[in-house]
Amino acid sequence: MNILVSWLREYVEVPDSPEDLARTMSVRGFSVEGIESSGDGDAIVDFEVTANRPDCMSVVGMAREVATAYNLPLRLPASPAADSGTKEGKDGGVSDGVPGSVIDIRIDDTDRCPRYVGAVVDVHVAPSPAWLQARLQAAGVRPLSNVVDVTNYVLLELGQPMHAFDLTALAGGQIRVRTARPGETLRTLDGQTRAMTTDMLVIADGERATAVAGVMGGGDSEVTPATTTIVLESACFDALSVRRTSKALGLKTEASMRFERGADPNLPLVAMQRAVALLESIGAGTLRGAIIDRYPAPVQSRSLRLRRTRLAEVLGAAVPDGDVRRILRSLDFTAGADDDGWDVGVPTRRVDVTREVDLIEEVARHYGFDRIPVTFPPPAAAPRPLDPRIMRARQLRGVLTGAGFSEAVTFGFVAAAAAAPFAAEDDIVPIANPLSETFAVLRPSALPGLIDGVAHNRRRERRDVRLFEIGARFGRARGESQAVACAWTGLAAPAHVSGTGRDVDFFDMKAVVERVCETMGVTADVTSHTVGWLAPGRSAAAHVGDTRVATFGQLAREIAHTNGLSDDPVYVADIDLDAILRVGAERHIRVEPLPRYPAITRDLSVLLDDTLAAADVRQTIRHAAPATLIHIIEFDRYQGKGIPDAKVSLSLRLTFRSSERTLTDADAQTAMDQVMAALTAAHGAVQR
Amino acid sequence: MPEPVDRATIEALRADFRARLSSSATDRDLQTLNDDFLGRRSGTVTGLLKSLGTVPANARRDIGQLVNTLKREIESAIHDRRAALASSRPPADAVDVTLPAREIPIGRVHPLMRVRQQVEDIFARMGYEVLEGPEVEDDYHNFEALNMPPDHPARDMQDTLYLNAPIAGGTWGAHMDPVPEAQVRAATLLRTHTSAMQIRYMKTFPPPIRIIVPGRVYRRDSLDLSHTPMFQQCEGLVVGPGITLADLKGTFEAMLRELFGDVRVRLRPSFFPYTEPSAEIDISCQSCGGDGCGTCKRTGWIEILGSGMVHPAVLEAVGYDPEQVTGFAFGIGMERVAMLKYGVDDIRLFYENDLRFLEQFPV
Repeated sequence: MNILVSWLREYVEVPDSPEDLARTMSVRGFSVEGIESSGDGDAIVDFEVTANRPDCMSVVGMAREVATAYNLPLRLPASPAADSGTKEGKDGGVSDGVPGSVIDIRIDDTDRCPRYVGAVVDVHVAPSPAWLQARLQAAGVRPLSNVVDVTNYVLLELGQPMHAFDLTALAGGQIRVRTARPGETLRTLDGQTRAMTTDMLVIADGERATAVAGVMGGGDSEVTPATTTIVLESACFDALSVRRTSKALGLKTEASMRFERGADPNLPLVAMQRAVALLESIGAGTLRGAIIDRYPAPVQSRSLRLRRTRLAEVLGAAVPDGDVRRILRSLDFTAGADDDGWDVGVPTRRVDVTREVDLIEEVARHYGFDRIPVTFPPPAAAPRPLDPRIMRARQLRGVLTGAGFSEAVTFGFVAAAAAAPFAAEDDIVPIANPLSETFAVLRPSALPGLIDGVAHNRRRERRDVRLFEIGARFGRARGESQAVACAWTGLAAPAHVSGTGRDVDFFDMKAVVERVCETMGVTADVTSHTVGWLAPGRSAAAHVGDTRVATFGQLAREIAHTNGLSDDPVYVADIDLDAILRVGAERHIRVEPLPRYPAITRDLSVLLDDTLAAADVRQTIRHAAPATLIHIIEFDRYQGKGIPDAKVSLSLRLTFRSSERTLTDADAQTAMDQVMAALTAAHGAVQR
Repeated sequence: MPEPVDRATIEALRADFRARLSSSATDRDLQTLNDDFLGRRSGTVTGLLKSLGTVPANARRDIGQLVNTLKREIESAIHDRRAALASSRPPADAVDVTLPAREIPIGRVHPLMRVRQQVEDIFARMGYEVLEGPEVEDDYHNFEALNMPPDHPARDMQDTLYLNAPIAGGTWGAHMDPVPEAQVRAATLLRTHTSAMQIRYMKTFPPPIRIIVPGRVYRRDSLDLSHTPMFQQCEGLVVGPGITLADLKGTFEAMLRELFGDVRVRLRPSFFPYTEPSAEIDISCQSCGGDGCGTCKRTGWIEILGSGMVHPAVLEAVGYDPEQVTGFAFGIGMERVAMLKYGVDDIRLFYENDLRFLEQFPV
């Protein structure tokens, strides 16, 4: 809200400079967006008026706040006494009006329009006087003609939206406040033809809609240089109705912005009198007949109770009674004190004040937040356990940064094409009103974002990239779930003078997945697993029992290429943290006694089919060997010269140990014979 | 004819040798020294010996002795120095310790998470429970229960992203046994603040409560220098008997001084539908010390978080009695804190995941 300081000073003689005024008001609830000095000692201060304070969207409204902040009297603008115009028709909206009146005003929908004040004015349309134009311009409003300028002036001064119709354009000399008829259209002042719906309130004449109530006037009844008689409107429209209509039409105006926040039903007549007085004083027109006021159910001011104890309980400060009374009265509340508080009458313009706590805020605001003491809340109950998701994320951050991964944060939504490879089409969750195609669907995995991060770094000449992200992902079927995603490309072992580096391969990423599982307290079995976003033959899943906890491997080349990545392999993993949390048992750490007898190792080389999984071989060995087998590790896998086609030579080292005695060579030999026999029987293995 | 050899010549040679010996640090230096003085062809001492014939006969014996003494001295000194050098030579398997280390790769925690952990830790030490809530929410938890019924103008303050069809609702409570009556509703929107979680929590636990809820939130904002459609928030809630605005003030004076160092803190009245009274909290501008500069738009203050006393309507919505308990609530943006703390002037840097940016933050 742009406020011209000299205009403000008409109502409150604030001595401060515009800068000091801005400083003072910003700690009274009105932040200052900017101060524009106009050169002659005057300035325009742009106050931010919060959504709950439509009453301050005017110079007088702000003046009342300034007067309270500075403890100065408020002088209201000059207008004839309230009874100088002729009010009539308080009994309902169906009156035919004053006998002899040229206009007939009726409200058909008193819920959406509780009050309508109209007046007929004979006018000489011409430019406004310079002072009036200057004030409008200072507030950012373009001067048009004396008639329209006066309506805008009153809007800025008092906050009451007004409108002027050309009387000759009103069929039947009628004003009907009614909802739009089915299929009704209306050309608004901006030249657009608007299709109205039956829940929208319009101002109509005897035949058709001629203005969108509380939003914008119609082009057909617009005031023109040829206009000689106008009907002035000063009304109160329902906030919700205006808000819905403005939204539906995509039409936001100075009027709609005030009505949709809540208008004062007791302002329209004051504003009408002010407008008529102004028109007459600048020689723009003369009132014909009486002002017509349709106000079937006058709104009374609300009464609230403010308890002294409650005030202190909420603020933690004892505000002196004198301050409470002064603040409330200065803001135009009535405050009658008794032993334990005040009975407060709320002015009808204060649509935001509906409960005791709203009064407490008024007092606190002008008493000054800076005068509230500083205390500390007393200790509460013993804290409940920490959210395990937060602890888990912290642990993972430590483990993954320790493994060389930097943490990424990417958006929760991605382009539909980026999401497509990672979930079935019917499991992807589109956003109804996305900002752009780039943010069209909720991410089914953090991987699209990470791959984008890898590509971003690659474009900036960074070949070695390790990124991870911990966060939510979304699916239509199971909703939101937590995952950690990793992406790794470039070197695994950095180059050094002592030897060349080595690029990442499948087993590096497998180590990361296993490390994450280990951190979360589960041991997973890895098996081959085909999925569209991973390269065939280099894709795997990790399971705990029947639950899949991770999918990982080399990113499918098409996806890499789509993201502008070269042929360097990118290894990725998507680890389901919720699944791990589900299958992971709470860890009770129990120490086992250290071994008392030495271990004995034996190596074994066998020829096998090259498609046989190492895990299967290990399982056969475990079944066949005695319980003294404590460890198996593959240490060589060879294909090539000397090995038949489709065969592989696999070398394993087996470690045996007993907790009861030292094992002998004979024990080991027996065990190895059993193992070899089982491998031959199960897999046709041949010892080398 | 060469110069006649005399005592002065010999002493000059000796002094010359001493000087050069003291500046000889390598085997190569010593070899050169040896050659220069004792070389068979051009060594200076060798030359002296060769020219002894020119010395008058009566002095020849003495001079000859002196030259030979010098020769032995030089031989012995070079030998000793060689031995000393050899004994200080590194062993054959020595390494050049000035070569670069073999890198142990280490990643960095994202600056937003760094700030978040710091905020979590400050509040945890003040006895707050730290928890997360779902990012997809329903209208009730995100708006209605927070005193923002449909068509409330304040909804315009938070332009919302909606799902095109409802999906399964939030996951909060999954870690608890038994799972609290979860207030499960189908999710229809991306939460615009983590306050939604306050409702879930209050509907599960009686007062007193003291929680913070960090997490991602979403608004329909286009990307620019200071806006992203997703950002990181941390909201908090304290409810109990006798919680006051003064408590809110004390909490944030302590909290913001811990987060930013020696700053002044002020409360400024504002408006949020779910708090009354509401306050923006400012810290004194660290760029200018509060005198006014470009960073603080000449006000000397930087807005850092929104807060207020919990609106009685919010307490009523979750079944608390506002006559028995009061509380305060707040929300702080991690991006804003990180931008101020680390001097970041473009919010988009947090979401590009450029390693040149991330690696500027210490391990």
